[in-house]
Amino acid sequence: MQSGDELGPFRFQVTREQLVRYAGASDDYNPIHYDDALAQSLGLPGIIVHGMLNMGLIARYVMAALPEGTQLEQYGVRFRQMVQPGQDLMVTARVREADAAAARLDVQLAVEGGKPAVMGKMTVRFPGALG
Amino acid sequence: MLKLDESLLGQRSEPVVREVERGAIRKFAAALGLDDPIHTAVEAARARGYRDLVAPPTFAVTLLPFEAPGLRLPKAGVLHGEQEFEWGAAICAGDRLTVTGWVEDVKTRSGAGGKMHIISVASEAVNQDGERVFRAKAVLIVTEEVEHAVGR
Repeated sequence: MQSGDELGPFRFQVTREQLVRYAGASDDYNPIHYDDALAQSLGLPGIIVHGMLNMGLIARYVMAALPEGTQLEQYGVRFRQMVQPGQDLMVTARVREADAAAARLDVQLAVEGGKPAVMGKMTVRFPGALG
Repeated sequence: MLKLDESLLGQRSEPVVREVERGAIRKFAAALGLDDPIHTAVEAARARGYRDLVAPPTFAVTLLPFEAPGLRLPKAGVLHGEQEFEWGAAICAGDRLTVTGWVEDVKTRSGAGGKMHIISVASEAVNQDGERVFRAKAVLIVTEEVEHAVGR
């Protein structure tokens, strides 16, 4: 792996069912993730995907593309646009720098044909590398 | 509505002890569609050198105190602007984590959509052996509409 390498695009959709499961699993019962009328009354287009679900899905696709046992050390994101269930989504990553022990990547999730909705940076440590 | 006491900025919350349960890890891994068995099968986790099921990295969010001294957030409509984690020792089922949180910063901005409060909440968790398992920072956004929504 070297600087400039790209991972993805990984394409998927988030369903309403996933939002309900994630709300339960993360104990996040903010109604903007399950109540359309309430979400609209607060100025949103309808229910939106949890930022943390988007963050977790980016990590899922990127980490699955790296060697087994790779550890996530640091990961930060900015939530730029709302993501709604049923939209066509795309995760991509680009290696900023890498050596045998670790790599830093720029990652993002975008609605197909749209602007990036979540942008972030990750630092990963490869298996067998000493901390 | 948003209640904020600026004199309490930076003050750490009382530590909260959170127990990490196998079922919670399995449910979280399933919600994200993670298929690595270290999150679901104890033997697989042990074979990879862990003491028990391993929490997925962003499981840390389930342990965060979004409330911190001086801050009371509205129940509905709080938006998440940014999130950062730095992980240390692995979080495994059976761990007892001591979590503290504090408000790092609060700004109020006026934009096209009206006024909004931008709140940075930091937190840290240490395991039963005194090892740090994560540090986190969340940037939360409370818009005027949300702040003034009644009865929520």
